[in-house]
Amino acid sequence: MTLTNAAPPYVKSEFTVSSMMHSMLAALLALLVIPVAHYGLRPLVAAGASVLTALLCRILFRLFRGKGGSVSEASVLVTGLMVPMLLPLNTPLWLPCTASAFAVLVALEPFGGFGRNPFNPAAAGVAFVSLCWPKRVFSYFDPSQPASFPAFGAGVFHVAQSPAEILKQGFKPEILPLDMLWGNFPGPLGSTLILVIGACGLLLFLTGAGKAETTLCFLGAAALIAAAFPRILCSPLTSVKYEIMSGSLLFCSVFMVTDPVTSPRTFPGRCLYGAFAGAMTMAFRWFGAYEQGACFALLVANAAAPVIDSAVFRLRGWEGAAA
Amino acid sequence: MPCGIKLEPAKELSLKQPIATLPAPKTLPVPKMFAPLRRKKAGTAAILNAARTAGIVDELDGKPLEEKLMWFAAAETRVLIAVCFDEDPMTSAEQAVLRESASRIAAGLELAVRACGASVGKIAAANQKEVQRVQKDCSGTMFLTAGGRYPALVLLRRALSETGRKAGFLGGQACLALSDAADRGLAQSETVVTVAGDGARRWKNCRARLGTPIGEVLSAGEPLPETALAVVGASVNGRSVTDLSGPVTATTRCVLAMKRPPRRTVLPCIGCGRCQRACPRGILPWMILQQMESGSPDPFRLFNVERCVRCEACSVVCPSQINLAAAVARAEKFKEGKCNP
Repeated sequence: MTLTNAAPPYVKSEFTVSSMMHSMLAALLALLVIPVAHYGLRPLVAAGASVLTALLCRILFRLFRGKGGSVSEASVLVTGLMVPMLLPLNTPLWLPCTASAFAVLVALEPFGGFGRNPFNPAAAGVAFVSLCWPKRVFSYFDPSQPASFPAFGAGVFHVAQSPAEILKQGFKPEILPLDMLWGNFPGPLGSTLILVIGACGLLLFLTGAGKAETTLCFLGAAALIAAAFPRILCSPLTSVKYEIMSGSLLFCSVFMVTDPVTSPRTFPGRCLYGAFAGAMTMAFRWFGAYEQGACFALLVANAAAPVIDSAVFRLRGWEGAAA
Repeated sequence: MPCGIKLEPAKELSLKQPIATLPAPKTLPVPKMFAPLRRKKAGTAAILNAARTAGIVDELDGKPLEEKLMWFAAAETRVLIAVCFDEDPMTSAEQAVLRESASRIAAGLELAVRACGASVGKIAAANQKEVQRVQKDCSGTMFLTAGGRYPALVLLRRALSETGRKAGFLGGQACLALSDAADRGLAQSETVVTVAGDGARRWKNCRARLGTPIGEVLSAGEPLPETALAVVGASVNGRSVTDLSGPVTATTRCVLAMKRPPRRTVLPCIGCGRCQRACPRGILPWMILQQMESGSPDPFRLFNVERCVRCEACSVVCPSQINLAAAVARAEKFKEGKCNP
């Protein structure tokens, strides 16, 4: 028996960062099941290319900085997998790759890697490509028309207006409710499957990987604004239905707003942050140049998170004495 | 929102067998005997004297029982509680002692209540099942149960202090020793220690003479040859030892053999807030860590660090495996002006 010394504690809870990231990965992969069933390997190839780019960028950055560290850190995979979910399937493969490279090289690693990033990297990457190539990011194929995508290269498809764009123009999108729930309408790859996203959200909240209060406040604020200031001539409830289900709003509310690193650390802070992000999303939809503003709104809310936290500290009397 | 954390208890294996008595090493002196008390008439002074002569040490905090009883009397403690459960998920010594000799613990508790002028004594057991098990042995004793969350004793103390009644806590084995001293004139010479861990073939509770080398207690659990870590005290906040010749003391609750030291890949704080919810003392460990890492901590932001009881619940729950308890301990020293951040 050779004994060594080690610091306590000698027991560990099951919940770790990697288990959290694994449930995130599982939830994101579940979003790919229906697209793969419909369109073959293309969604998997897009996701794989984006994940590989993210990993490569991380390895290169680490080598360049002369730092060690585990290459297989799951948070990079989560970022890489989140990016193609926010982009349409019919974009060329380099677009998600560029977005995830931007996410890792600009929004994640320079700040010190996962845990120290002030902005959600996936949101930053998608915002970057939305600004650079808006035509490609906001042109969606019509899933109700026949479409085929080879694993690589351009596919054959009809372009259609997404409900978010129709709303932006001030018209009412005519989509059957059941089609909306099953994601049978033009939109980003992973963000149209309303039912699957809901199930994934439930999984994340039950495993403790995400905080439900942020999502609820986000959706609540967005719904409230949609009901109070509808963009189209219709009943408040119809407005709420289309605003929540169109675009990447629901995906952001489940997968991106709940990210613990970039959200405030206090419970009231998180509620406020969620509500603020929801309100910002709706503001971007009202006044923004593009049909979708969830990623931009999230970045603004990320920037506000430390301020929200210190406001909560002040309210609770946790603030240090003024110097 | 309940404080503390849920830990999977691993006590059944060691509780299955009766407490085994280890042979005392020959180098240790024979324990002293003295005249027993006459229980019915014994007054405060006589009981305190018996506690002092028997050299009883409370296993909860390592303080002499006599001193504690005098302190309780001075603080006008109303309720005296004999702690007969183990906070630690791998330790079952107190529980085993309660199962074996509940009536003697109750008798010792009664003496202690008389000595410090409290109005009532209660036995705190791990759960309702344990209470039902021993209730018939000691009629007329009141029981209460500890919660299932770690650290149970700290949480029980907190719950009682919220009710506003002054409660004092004694170790179950100290009560047992007091009863033995009063009835049979025995000095405290033994303690019950749990031997467990994934490196031990047989998990059991051993009655060891105080001063027995830890190695001898460990070998009673038949440790595997690949054991790499020996832990004394508790699986959560104990300490590892490399020298097995150290003595067993009254506060030694368990000796664990671990096959491999805990492997940690420490990641940056992700701000999940689990440590804040786990802390039974109202500390915000993540903020303490942030402040200490900033290089120039603001003492006004290091809330409650002086209240830390070193239960290490924060370090256990941290998903990034950060040693938050160490950061809190450092912050406490810094706040007292004893060290640089």
